[in-house]
Amino acid sequence: MFAAAGALLVFNLVVAAFGYAPRDTLGAAFAGTWGTAYGTGQVLFKATPLLLTGLAFHVALRCGLFNIGTEGQLALGALVAGWLGPSVGAAFPPLLAVPLVVGASVTTAAALGALAGFMRARLGVHEIISGIMLNRCVDVFLPWVLVVGLGATALRTDDIGAGARLPGLEVWVPAFSGSAVSVAFPGAVVVTGVVYLWLERSVAGREMRWVGLSPTACGSQGVDVARRRIQAMVLSGGLAGLVCAGTVLGYKGYYELGLGAGAGFSGIAVAMVGRSGPVALVLAALAFGTLAQAGLSINAQVPKEAMSVLEAVVILLVAAAAGVTGGDGATRATPGDGAEKGDGDGAESGAAPLARTRPVPSERVP
Amino acid sequence: MSEILSLTTVAETWRIAVPYACAAVGGVWAERSGVIQIGLEGVLLSSAFASVAVAHATGSAPAGLFAGIGVGVIQSAFHGWLVERTKIDAVVSGIALNLLAYAATRMALRALYDSSSNSPSIGGFEVGPRGAEGWQLLLRALFDPVAVLALIAVVASPWLLQRTRLGLRVRACGEHPTAAQAAGLDVARTRIVALAVSGAVCALGGVHLAFDQHRFEAGMSGGRGFIALAAVVLSGWRAGRAAVACLAFGLLEALQIGLQSLFRASPAATLVQLLPYVATLLVLALGIGRGAAPAGIGRAPET
Amino acid sequence: MTTRGALAGPPLSLRAATKRYGSVTAVAGLDLDLLPGRIHALVGENGAGKSTALKMLAGYVTPTSGDVYVDGRPLTPLSPRRAMSLGVGMVHQHFMLVPPLSGLENLVLGCEPTRAGGRLDLERARREAEALQVETGLTVPLDPPVRNLSVGEQQRLEILRVLYRGARAILLDEPTAVLSPVEVEELYRTLGRIRDRGATIAVVTHRLDEVVRFCDELTVMRRGRRALSEMKRIDEPGLADRLTRAIMGHEVAPPAVPSAVSDDAPVGLAVVEATALRPDGRRGLDRLSCRVRAGEIVGIAGVEGNGQTELARALAGLMPLASGWVELRGKRLDHGTGDPARAVQRRRDAGLVVVHEDRHRDEMILETSVAENLVLGDLGRLPDAEPDTVARRFGIFDVRPPDPEQLGGALSGGNQQKVVMARHLDRPLVALVAAQPTRGVDIGTARIIRAALAERAAAGAAVVVISADLNELRGLSHRLLVLRQGRIVAELPPTASEQTIGQAMLGHTGPSSDRAPEIDDVATTSPGAADGR
Repeated sequence: MFAAAGALLVFNLVVAAFGYAPRDTLGAAFAGTWGTAYGTGQVLFKATPLLLTGLAFHVALRCGLFNIGTEGQLALGALVAGWLGPSVGAAFPPLLAVPLVVGASVTTAAALGALAGFMRARLGVHEIISGIMLNRCVDVFLPWVLVVGLGATALRTDDIGAGARLPGLEVWVPAFSGSAVSVAFPGAVVVTGVVYLWLERSVAGREMRWVGLSPTACGSQGVDVARRRIQAMVLSGGLAGLVCAGTVLGYKGYYELGLGAGAGFSGIAVAMVGRSGPVALVLAALAFGTLAQAGLSINAQVPKEAMSVLEAVVILLVAAAAGVTGGDGATRATPGDGAEKGDGDGAESGAAPLARTRPVPSERVP
Repeated sequence: MSEILSLTTVAETWRIAVPYACAAVGGVWAERSGVIQIGLEGVLLSSAFASVAVAHATGSAPAGLFAGIGVGVIQSAFHGWLVERTKIDAVVSGIALNLLAYAATRMALRALYDSSSNSPSIGGFEVGPRGAEGWQLLLRALFDPVAVLALIAVVASPWLLQRTRLGLRVRACGEHPTAAQAAGLDVARTRIVALAVSGAVCALGGVHLAFDQHRFEAGMSGGRGFIALAAVVLSGWRAGRAAVACLAFGLLEALQIGLQSLFRASPAATLVQLLPYVATLLVLALGIGRGAAPAGIGRAPET
Repeated sequence: MTTRGALAGPPLSLRAATKRYGSVTAVAGLDLDLLPGRIHALVGENGAGKSTALKMLAGYVTPTSGDVYVDGRPLTPLSPRRAMSLGVGMVHQHFMLVPPLSGLENLVLGCEPTRAGGRLDLERARREAEALQVETGLTVPLDPPVRNLSVGEQQRLEILRVLYRGARAILLDEPTAVLSPVEVEELYRTLGRIRDRGATIAVVTHRLDEVVRFCDELTVMRRGRRALSEMKRIDEPGLADRLTRAIMGHEVAPPAVPSAVSDDAPVGLAVVEATALRPDGRRGLDRLSCRVRAGEIVGIAGVEGNGQTELARALAGLMPLASGWVELRGKRLDHGTGDPARAVQRRRDAGLVVVHEDRHRDEMILETSVAENLVLGDLGRLPDAEPDTVARRFGIFDVRPPDPEQLGGALSGGNQQKVVMARHLDRPLVALVAAQPTRGVDIGTARIIRAALAERAAAGAAVVVISADLNELRGLSHRLLVLRQGRIVAELPPTASEQTIGQAMLGHTGPSSDRAPEIDDVATTSPGAADGR
């Protein structure tokens, strides 16, 4: 509530600063989003990657990890989808082609997540630093692959084959006609439910959450902390790899540089705001999707970046509210092994620097 | 080869390295005090924009410079305040402030200049001979007032950290906040002050970036804040070494530009840009930098 | 000697001071007076409230009720800074030094002499420090980073720092716990010099020989109260015994020694020549050997920090052994150098179960449900369906409130320990190691837990109980082993007198008549020495 009020205040200030009546702009924003069926479809379309990246960030956070690398993971995955899409989509029917293409994207993104997870769990390289570095590597690597590897001239892949396209929701809901929303949205919602259920019920999911709550107790009781951390990063990366379903397969039909960019970082906001459960996560994704779409619809009056400003403000306000009230275990999973409570000896356990944390075997033979 | 190893390359290296080095030394100030700062990118952007906006409005380059520094100080200290006083996670705050800087500068571009990509051009400082090659370029790069200020800041930082009361307190807060508190320091306040210094140094990089281009471009920091972060880690959180690392990155980039002009833009040369990141990952993974980070980074004093 | 003038220390007092942490009372209505020109020793068992009392005097801990007086005036506001400004400085048990900074930098941190522009005037600081060193005899290298100094040097630096800030009353929390005997002598010589110049000095310690040899006055604390006070120079024969009795308390331990273990019962658990290194490179376990027969309960006594934690972690497989090994029913276990999670699981599967001392760090996840805590570490390895296991384990003890779905953190300490013990006791056991099984647990629950341990031993498990509570050990064990500096230094029957056990623990070598026979490593390392009755 606090955050919503704050965001509304900032919104009014920004709009007023541009010399428009906040109420009119708000009206335009509403008309462009939930006011029409098309707008609603666009919101759902914008929310799809946000939901998946939010879920990805959430999964890692539940294990006490900051997967800041979702941005690079989803981009590399989408590139692979765009690269395989033309041939696989042409050669196979949708029932085969879609899983193949999406699967390849997921595998690629998960591998990138695994790399960060491995470096954290086994080598003690903090996932935030490795995540930033891997993101930048992907940023440099992508155009090079597009130009040199794929010989593209317009920094995009070829159109993917018909078999690898995902149908738009307009097929079932004609009112969405013209909007970019595809079956990827309901798909993402289902995935969210499944992942939450898995986190609650499965052995691996439960142990991941436990590791996020208390890595020391888990380690002492024989839970394989390193393995669970790597698995969480693999799952998180894989979820980021699903983003291509909405962007490449469901909308563009090809991959181009920058497609889906920013969803990784916005996913952090979604995960922070929607941390209390799957429904909250979907609602948070819809809220940020609305912001993004509203930004486009008021772009004539107020630049769409105003919505990104709002997003940043919301992140800070939500984080501040969580900080003031103490928050819950998941959001307080601070970098380093902040969740490792009860460390009495500051000199030894205090050494949890950003770049290197102690690998899980906390006591080693020198 | 002579075309690559020329005075032009030296000048280019210098010109390119200044923003990196400023951001990196700013990062050292922040992290030596114990605050994780991944928002250097945002500080670069905001300060670049502020300097251009004020320089454009007043027609005065020094006014632009001060405005840039002021905005950098405010934004960075705000990060410190958020982390230390409202207990927001430093990573979350850094990401949010990066986003805020990116979006707010674009928004302001639209508001002030009705452009989505760049500002009108500004004069900046006009020092040294005109001409785009060789010694002329080198002299201009060397005597650019912002670069001179940046050089002073970069060279002074290790000394300040080592030899002044503030520096000693900053290091103590970063290494062992509990002990610093037991010694009577206000850890949160010391850290916020360190962040303000960090913001000022980093802002010099942003101002240099903008004045060098004679205008502001949307997203013109282009990841330099992240490279600077890599340099901080590679240097083992030492200002001097971080600046040297940035000089090396600058040289690589200058060479790459030279190579591209030689070989008609071989795209493979862009892969040189991977180097800082890959080097950082390798150094960390191989454990070369083990134990070099401030031990109290990201930690509040206990009790 | 008197270049700085006399250090006329302020008298310090606590009046009816009480400190409660939640339901635990650390200090209960304590009156304490520290006088200038004296070294006052505060002694007592772990958790007797000594450190808390000291921290109240230095402004670090605010009393729940009661008053702190410095120089006859109430200490307000109660803060370390205020106390320091009145000349009261504290040397913490864990040094408050910044490891990468030099000695000189640490010395001046927080009150740095500066020149114009905030430049450090390290030359002036050095002059002042050197003058102070000459005055006090506290020689510390000032230039190398503190992390390169020995523990004794770091401590001298801490004392020097307190003096540098103008302290005339110095409170030291367990200053000798980490020092070698030579360093201890050195420390007290220094403290003696400072005292002679008029300072007020208080020392918290476990070691009675120090008290007898070096201190002027003493207060014995038990359970937050004053058990004994001596306000004059102490130098009488038999004092050590009197002190030991006061420290340990006068409760008569239940004499009921559990049913005897037959001499030909097989050895369930054996530790052979085990050496384990702590992260700082020191030996946590130093060629420790012991054997526990099936059905036997062996109690490990010792002052905290003498290898108890390391023993439990090494047995659990969490801390690799640098040399030596562990045998379970005569079968050697691996050194635990591989993946710790695997090692813990393998040992548990083999029947070696360890309950760690720090419940919140190692045994429970407070933010998840009791039901989940009951199967922590067992997921995917349970022989029965999980709900059945949870129901069975939940039913072993009477956990209150009887709802397995509430958060672990919502339970009282006693009920948390019931959950922890239920999880461990429900496993197939060859050997059970329980570290501080009743710490922070109410008396009723403690009794239940002890009964459960005895029951498992009677059923054939080899049981090791590591405890700071001597009465618990004496009431529960067949044999007592005394752990000091990572070694077993004595083996005693549970009927041994409090003095005997206490003196073996404290390493007392003073003029006591009833000295414990020490069993050196020569004896314990020869096979069979530790299991003889």
